[in-house]
Amino acid sequence: MEPLLRLSQVKKRFGGIEALKGIDFEVFAGEVHALVGENGAGKSTMMKILAGVIPDYAGEMVYQGRPLRLKNPKEALDLGIAMIHQELSVMPELSVAENIFLGRQPTRGRVVDWRRMNAEARRILEALGYPQVEVERPLGDYPLGVHQLAEIARAVTSGAELIIMDEPTSALSPMETERLLALVRRLAEQGKAIVYISHFLEEVTAVADRITVLRDGRKVATLKAGETSKAELVRLMLGKEARFFERTALVPRAREGAPVLELHGLSRPRAFADVNLALYPGEIVGLYGLIGSGHFELAETLFGLARPSAGQVRVAGRPLSGGPRRAIREGIAYVPPSRRTGLFLEKPVYQNVSLPWLDRLFGPARELAAAGRVTREVGLKPPDPARVVGAFSGGNQQKVAIARWLIEPPKVFLASEPTRGMDVGAKEEVLAILRRMADAGTAVLLVSSEPETILAAADRVLVMAKGRIVAEFTSGEVTKEMLVHAAAGELKKTA
Amino acid sequence: MADKPSRTSRLAERARELAPVWTLLALVVFFGVYSESFLTLENFGNILNQVALLAIMGTGITFVLLTAQIDLSVSYMATLAGVVAAYATAGHLPQPWPIVVALLVAAFLGWISGAATAYLGIPSFMSTLAMSLIASGLSLYLTRGRILFDLPPLSKTLGSGRIFGVKWLVIVAALTLLAGHLVLRYTRFGRYVYMTGANPKAAELAGVNTRRIVAAVMVIAAFTAGLAGVVGIGRLGSATPTAFDGMLIDAIGAVVLGGTSLFGGVGGIPQTVVGLLILGVLRNGLDQVSVNIYAKTLITGIILFAALIFNILFAGKKES
Repeated sequence: MEPLLRLSQVKKRFGGIEALKGIDFEVFAGEVHALVGENGAGKSTMMKILAGVIPDYAGEMVYQGRPLRLKNPKEALDLGIAMIHQELSVMPELSVAENIFLGRQPTRGRVVDWRRMNAEARRILEALGYPQVEVERPLGDYPLGVHQLAEIARAVTSGAELIIMDEPTSALSPMETERLLALVRRLAEQGKAIVYISHFLEEVTAVADRITVLRDGRKVATLKAGETSKAELVRLMLGKEARFFERTALVPRAREGAPVLELHGLSRPRAFADVNLALYPGEIVGLYGLIGSGHFELAETLFGLARPSAGQVRVAGRPLSGGPRRAIREGIAYVPPSRRTGLFLEKPVYQNVSLPWLDRLFGPARELAAAGRVTREVGLKPPDPARVVGAFSGGNQQKVAIARWLIEPPKVFLASEPTRGMDVGAKEEVLAILRRMADAGTAVLLVSSEPETILAAADRVLVMAKGRIVAEFTSGEVTKEMLVHAAAGELKKTA
Repeated sequence: MADKPSRTSRLAERARELAPVWTLLALVVFFGVYSESFLTLENFGNILNQVALLAIMGTGITFVLLTAQIDLSVSYMATLAGVVAAYATAGHLPQPWPIVVALLVAAFLGWISGAATAYLGIPSFMSTLAMSLIASGLSLYLTRGRILFDLPPLSKTLGSGRIFGVKWLVIVAALTLLAGHLVLRYTRFGRYVYMTGANPKAAELAGVNTRRIVAAVMVIAAFTAGLAGVVGIGRLGSATPTAFDGMLIDAIGAVVLGGTSLFGGVGGIPQTVVGLLILGVLRNGLDQVSVNIYAKTLITGIILFAALIFNILFAGKKES
């Protein structure tokens, strides 16, 4: 049998970086073919080539037996290749049926033929296994799983033969996830070809017929789902050599006194649920999770940028509530995952550093002196607090973001992705600053989606997946493999 | 994306800072050459007198623009404050209470539109546009369309009196600008205004209550507008329900001409002073050289538009 689509030796280069180094890939009608790999392995580049988003690449694509070079996503759609993005493009105000037929409603004369549109929507949803959805109701009345359903139904009714799904379950509840996986199987039974991209290996092994593992822009293997295991997939994704470099032995620290930060059953809808956690002075706790697992949202909430819907936060025994100003006063410091969000790039370093402390530190001379002290502490290069932040390199900008919180050492430091996009040297410097802060008594929560960062600095490690803490490592040897395995795991709590 | 701003963008930064000054100098030289009466001390006094009311209003607008908001109600607020002061005077409210009440009314309405923007997220151009109708409507309602001639004596003094040969109006304007400058430059609040405009999210992350800052600058803008109205009726000699309505474009235009960024965080009172002088020199100079009087507005409009293009072009990098 001919595959519906085949890629041979597809290569793509962005500037100096080779994102795809010669990929061979095929998917058959009636098959669910999963695509797994770490961030940066080349999944999204490959998917963008399949969907016509990237038109210039080397190698060839054969679709329905004919060579094909897509110029844009519209052309892909016309040929029956549909892509369901992670961020859905639905209109919550419109009805379910309107969303399914967006832009191509059946008409009678010049007006929309509502009766026919609703009838057809009902028919397609029934075929997809969702007969209970009322097609006249606004899509916004339904949970996210139905939004996804509407988008899939849209793809199916527009004649899609190949459907590419990018992390379709990352925002879904466990029940919705199960129903979606059933829907994906049903689509395959109806003869559609599905390319299914996901971090969640449990789901992948459950839904896919075959699994292709990418690493570093190369295809490492294509396996039958029934003949592989989660452990094998993780090993293939990370590569053998990785296991020797990226492991660390956790040494449990003697805990002095009471926890400085305690979370009891903290929840926020669509972000995290029932998080319990205690941080002790002097320790660096790594909070690892895949992107979208709720760890960044947890840090943000602790700093007062969003309100939890349930649960309690205690700082040094006292309940905490309110916005960032209150959090700062209680001794909580926060660095956001994107440094551009937290910095004033056109303003001088000293104004960036002094802003939270102006009630006791105002006036250029005093601010410059204080900024001079803390920027020397973090090793800012060049050590010029009067220079605008935008004139520094990325790593040094990050040092400015951290230096701000050295003016008055915090009780709790929430550092989200503090080393993102840095070279090894800068990374080590930043992690050394965190260690010095911990040694001075601060409890550091190091929030990251990079296992390497966590393993390089943490005294103990928590793993979050789909909004819950699913694993904790307190002592002994921890490897990157173990973290990824835990994060990609199922939704039950493990010790 | 480059981490370091390129050389050209730093040059552009300098150009943006200095362009208004060059514009002003060029206009002065131009009118000085083509008009004999332009470069005289007396005429300079005229120019100051002409822009004094705009300067009072422009002080508050500078605060608003620095936080990347806009206030389209200032001129109507000035009219209303003038009307309220005259109305209360006619109603025999003892002095100086008519003036106090007028300023409080303006500040209160400014707080309403400011709170609507800061806490409810209504864009400031919309909330202040609606507020301008309310202010205008109140002016009409209180006057029933008539002209009020009973003015607070203090308004008359400040609006048309002199001290040591200098007009009080110019002194009030200078003091308002100075107060604005001191607040922006030397207080914590002033720093919060700049930082909120430069990057509201980052300001929030540093513990700045950005909503309160936004509400506060709109109160300030309404207050200075009210002050302009209270003093302005003294200059006109009466309060009418549309007295200062036409000043809106000039007041905002002067601040923008001076180079205060429409995207917030960059600019200040010195820039506004330059902008006011550009507008004043232009208006005054066009009167002195033999330009078709019907072309005056057109020329002013073209120059303002050019300044806007300039402002956007050089602030464009902030959008990313």
